[in-house]
Amino acid sequence: MKNIFKKTYLLYLPLIVLLINSCSKDDPDGINEQEFISNVVINVTSPEGTLQSIDWDLSETNTETINLKVNSNYNVGISFENRSDPTEIEDVTLEIIDEADEHQVFFEFADVSIDVTSASDDTKDGSRGVLLKSVWNASSTGSGVVRVYLIHQPTNFNATNREGFGGFNDVAIDIPVTISD
Amino acid sequence: MFRSEIQFFIIVFSFGLGNLIYSQPCDLILKGKITDLHDDSLLIGALVTIQGTNFFSQTDLDGRYEISGLCAGKYNIILSHPECITINKKINLSQSRVYNLQLEHHVDELDEIVVTDSKVSKLRKSIQEVSVNISDINSYGSNTLVEALNYIPGASILKTGNSIGKPIIHGMYGSRVGIVTDDFRQYDQQWGPDHAPNIDFDSFDVIQLIKGAAALKYGGDTSAGSIILSSKRKKLKDTLFGKSSLNFESNGRGGKFTTRLEKNYFNGFYINGNFTGKRYGDFTTPNYVLSNSGFKEANFSIKLGKDLISKGWNLKYSRYNLEPGILKASHIGNVQDLFYALNSNEPSIINDFTYDIEAPKQLARHQKLTLRYFKSFENNTKLEFGYNFQNNTRKEFDIRRGGRTEIPVVDLLLKTHTLNGSLSGINIKDWSFELGLNGFFQDNFSTPDTGVKRLIPDYIKFETGIYLLGNFQKINSFLWEWGLRLDHVSYDSKKYYYKSVWNERNYNSLFKDFETGREFANQILTNPKFNYLNLSAQTGISLNILNDLKFKMSYILSQRAPNPSELFSDGLHHAMAAIEYGSLSIEPETSHKFLFSFSKNNQIYNWSLEPFISKTFGYIFIEPTGLKQTIRGAFPVWTYDSTDAFLTGIDINSSIKIYKSLVFDLGASYTYAQDEINKEPIILIPPLNTFQKLKFIPSKGKWTLEFTNQISAKQNRFPNSNFIFDYIEDGKLVSKTVDISRSPRGFQKLDAIFSVQIGNQNNLKSSLRLILQNITNADYRDYLNRMRFYSSEIGRNFQVQLNFSY
Repeated sequence: MKNIFKKTYLLYLPLIVLLINSCSKDDPDGINEQEFISNVVINVTSPEGTLQSIDWDLSETNTETINLKVNSNYNVGISFENRSDPTEIEDVTLEIIDEADEHQVFFEFADVSIDVTSASDDTKDGSRGVLLKSVWNASSTGSGVVRVYLIHQPTNFNATNREGFGGFNDVAIDIPVTISD
Repeated sequence: MFRSEIQFFIIVFSFGLGNLIYSQPCDLILKGKITDLHDDSLLIGALVTIQGTNFFSQTDLDGRYEISGLCAGKYNIILSHPECITINKKINLSQSRVYNLQLEHHVDELDEIVVTDSKVSKLRKSIQEVSVNISDINSYGSNTLVEALNYIPGASILKTGNSIGKPIIHGMYGSRVGIVTDDFRQYDQQWGPDHAPNIDFDSFDVIQLIKGAAALKYGGDTSAGSIILSSKRKKLKDTLFGKSSLNFESNGRGGKFTTRLEKNYFNGFYINGNFTGKRYGDFTTPNYVLSNSGFKEANFSIKLGKDLISKGWNLKYSRYNLEPGILKASHIGNVQDLFYALNSNEPSIINDFTYDIEAPKQLARHQKLTLRYFKSFENNTKLEFGYNFQNNTRKEFDIRRGGRTEIPVVDLLLKTHTLNGSLSGINIKDWSFELGLNGFFQDNFSTPDTGVKRLIPDYIKFETGIYLLGNFQKINSFLWEWGLRLDHVSYDSKKYYYKSVWNERNYNSLFKDFETGREFANQILTNPKFNYLNLSAQTGISLNILNDLKFKMSYILSQRAPNPSELFSDGLHHAMAAIEYGSLSIEPETSHKFLFSFSKNNQIYNWSLEPFISKTFGYIFIEPTGLKQTIRGAFPVWTYDSTDAFLTGIDINSSIKIYKSLVFDLGASYTYAQDEINKEPIILIPPLNTFQKLKFIPSKGKWTLEFTNQISAKQNRFPNSNFIFDYIEDGKLVSKTVDISRSPRGFQKLDAIFSVQIGNQNNLKSSLRLILQNITNADYRDYLNRMRFYSSEIGRNFQVQLNFSY
């Protein structure tokens, strides 16, 4: 009798499984992605004061071109935004300013030659400009591409090409550039 | 003296009396086999005496006894063996019969005889198993399960750095390999290639490797094979027993401490505890420090129970904590960073040695509670019942902006409840059966606090399985075995998809039923539900061709439902610079495998030859499917898909006694794997590898010396997963190939181990071991290490190991 009782343990098994089977998951909360960058906004101001604003949007096809004139100083401001939730746009640039010591904006050009210097109102870490605000001056005409980087924790802040900086890319996007007379 | 005379008199008298009274022909034969109750091993030299007579028989090498010339009547049989508790059995003999008996080992004082807690006995008799003692593994100086498995012939390791590794069997890993501890499947995030099994191997005694999905008792979905860890227990009368081991290593400047204490009582009650702690700083290759490659580990377990011949129970709690650092240089931002890493000889970040572990790192915690009960009945059937709860938390930390580095990017809580019930030893004539049921409930929760899209969504998974195993054995030299298993698997998941992805993958028409209508920002909440019914089966034979030559052959059918990663993965994999997508359209895979084994065992030499051949329909794998533009540049997209896979291979092992005290071991393993639909090799298949070992064991000395040489060839068969990206070089936009497919060149590694017994006083035994690994300080990269893009393997390592048992 006792043995038979023990054997009936086995019969409970599927029953228990069936019981648990009837429960279901609650709806999980949506996640608003932090430190996510959906847009890079580049404002190019000519010496005459005309503003050209490029808004590179992750969810769109981006064709906007930066138009410059040769041998002129342009003020270029760059900002990073998270617009994944349209009701709550986040300005990621503020975080970069806070952590200026471990960030560097870097512009690498292909087929065009442009001299980039830190602007007077640029965010500085010591004497180094983060290049959130920079002055661009093209030395010759032509058309090419600028690759815009936001480098996190570079190992060398004074490099002249991307490889030399080390660290890793938080942003790497290409924008066409045309330089005319 | 006087008493024995009386006994003798009684014997003679009763013998005579019996003859007088019944005067029947006394030609009955009583014979049978004596085995150990725990592991069915044959008991040689057991004495079977019939009380009150001078009839007796001692069991031979096959554990058999035979007493002839008996008269019909009631007898009391006394069964004794030097290592066992003597038992009495009453028998009513009316005709000649086979009477098999079982004895339970006991131990006088400090003998090294152990009883097994779980199935250390062969799980399937028609499959060649490899069984290795953990103490042997420790003697090779392996301080992680990863390395430990390297010494099991037929297993390879898929590594992420040097502290995280998963077993590969027959060219497969992850969900295709089952890991079983304490008779329960291990449930952690086994699907991830960079997730180490959350197990403290030091708290077990034996690792068994079973190739193929033959361990049907534990599941039918592990087409590669299973790794089973179990503990043995010294069964001592009222004794306290313990062992400890202390390890120091030069590479990583760290060590391991492990200790075990056991208390046994005469009434079968026992309690034991284990603790293991490990701490390592940065490891080094021959030329540089692997920054952030150290790890910390702390585990403990406590077990108590009561074991009697006929019944027993035990309760065990274990806790595992691992905090491994991930090579700093492997945290890359995009394809361009990967390109630089691939074209550089050294990692991009090399700092001074430190014990500190920073992001990127992982934090894994696994807690396990097991309750088991068994009862044996007189007819040898055994009823077992078990419940197991596993609580796994996994956190992954990355380098983040805005002070968020302290917040994990992956934060998973996985709870699994399992119930097992089985009835074994159902013997009908020459047949033996086992019937069992498994029930399984799993709940995965992915916390939204990470602020990063969930890699794996919240889900509930159920599994119900039923199995029936049987074998037929009439003569010793031939056995036929089979098993059947049916599993029902269901998923109920809640997952947010980006609307763009949902539509782009055409899920909005294929899986419209899954849409809940709830939206969040630009994401849509879905409720994917899946049900799968999987059938698995095994049949095989074991045949003794000659005295010491054995042949085994088996066919195994296994079906596996897709795992959560294959269904739901959705995100960027940093170290691989890849976007990985699961696929809701994936169906279960079905694998057919033939396994053969030829083995010869004798005093001078042993060898085994184990070829396999398998075909998997609907083999689930991940392949590159294009590039996706992100804010960090273009990333290759890898998507799970299915194909038909053909795999074949062979494992060879041999051991020769060259001279009295000199043993030479040789092993080799090769796997060929082809994707038959896309007509290309399958990725991450172990290349041809071989090891040679020379062991010197002086017959009189208390020391041993051995040299092991491991050679791994270059893997020439790999799919092309390269991609092209535009790169700015000297002011020009140029196209470059990112060569992530290429395998590193082959390597050779030489190790030496010297062991010496330093003390053997009373109850304290101690030994010292000196281990030198990678003696030549070879600089090499391993194709099976996912960190090979960034760094070499670790260089020379010197270990000092002190072992005590008391």
